[in-house]
Amino acid sequence: MAKIRRVVLDVLKPHQPNIIPFTEQLTEQEAVTGVTSKLVEIEEKVRTIRVTIEGEDLDMDAIEARINDLGGSIHSVDEVSCGQEVIEDPWLANG
Amino acid sequence: MNPRARLAGIRRVLRKEDVRSLSRRYFVANGFDGTLTSIGVVLGAYMGGGVEDGLMVIGIGLGAAIGLGTSGIWSVWEIERAETSREQASLESAMLTSLEDTQLTRDFRNEQIVLALAAATGPVISILVTLLPFLFEGVFLSMFQAVLLSIALGILLLATVGAYMGAISKQRWYVAAIRMGLAGFVVAIITIFLPG
Repeated sequence: MAKIRRVVLDVLKPHQPNIIPFTEQLTEQEAVTGVTSKLVEIEEKVRTIRVTIEGEDLDMDAIEARINDLGGSIHSVDEVSCGQEVIEDPWLANG
Repeated sequence: MNPRARLAGIRRVLRKEDVRSLSRRYFVANGFDGTLTSIGVVLGAYMGGGVEDGLMVIGIGLGAAIGLGTSGIWSVWEIERAETSREQASLESAMLTSLEDTQLTRDFRNEQIVLALAAATGPVISILVTLLPFLFEGVFLSMFQAVLLSIALGILLLATVGAYMGAISKQRWYVAAIRMGLAGFVVAIITIFLPG
């Protein structure tokens, strides 16, 4: 199995924990080297965030379990990078 | 949940400003009840006669502390349980998923523990402080002096809490201190002039 280097997730979560502790706690996962969360939409009780996680060999089951434990739920996996290196999407790079 | 994880969870919820603010309110409100109750109990016991020594007053006061402490912990636990259950149900309906056994619900439980403890410790501490002089009754205080000192400690405690609340709300701390301390005087005067 190829190693997962980067995933971009669309996550729905309650307002609490807010985006800072949410992201910090995802960073504490094993093999994760960095996490970036970006607010996409705020509703009355919930918010949608886009979470980009990078690492050497990401364990998707553990990441999903941690997101669920933090009260979030993954709506979709929007981008995945596997292999020896992360290849940037040329369409995005040129856009 | 093991004690270490529970402690870590409690530390986490204590970082939330809303939890700190609510626990402060419960602590102060119930501590206020405790101090006034103690002033009333101490004066009532002394003026009613039949109190032979300081230990008897301490016994009566401890009864009040147990009553108010239990009331604080029990009522706040139930209030917060109802509130967090409602909040959880509302969030689950917005998330379209169960949040059972997540960090969110564990935090709700930890918040319940913190708030219930704040509600219980307020009256217990305030009553214990006002009962302190009776430990020295018969040693180097007369019963009358112990009663006066106990009331003075109660008023001082109220004024200190008032000053603190005044300081954190950016009001004049000494006005807040006088306003809170006045309640102790009022209870003492009403108790003194009670018939019988």
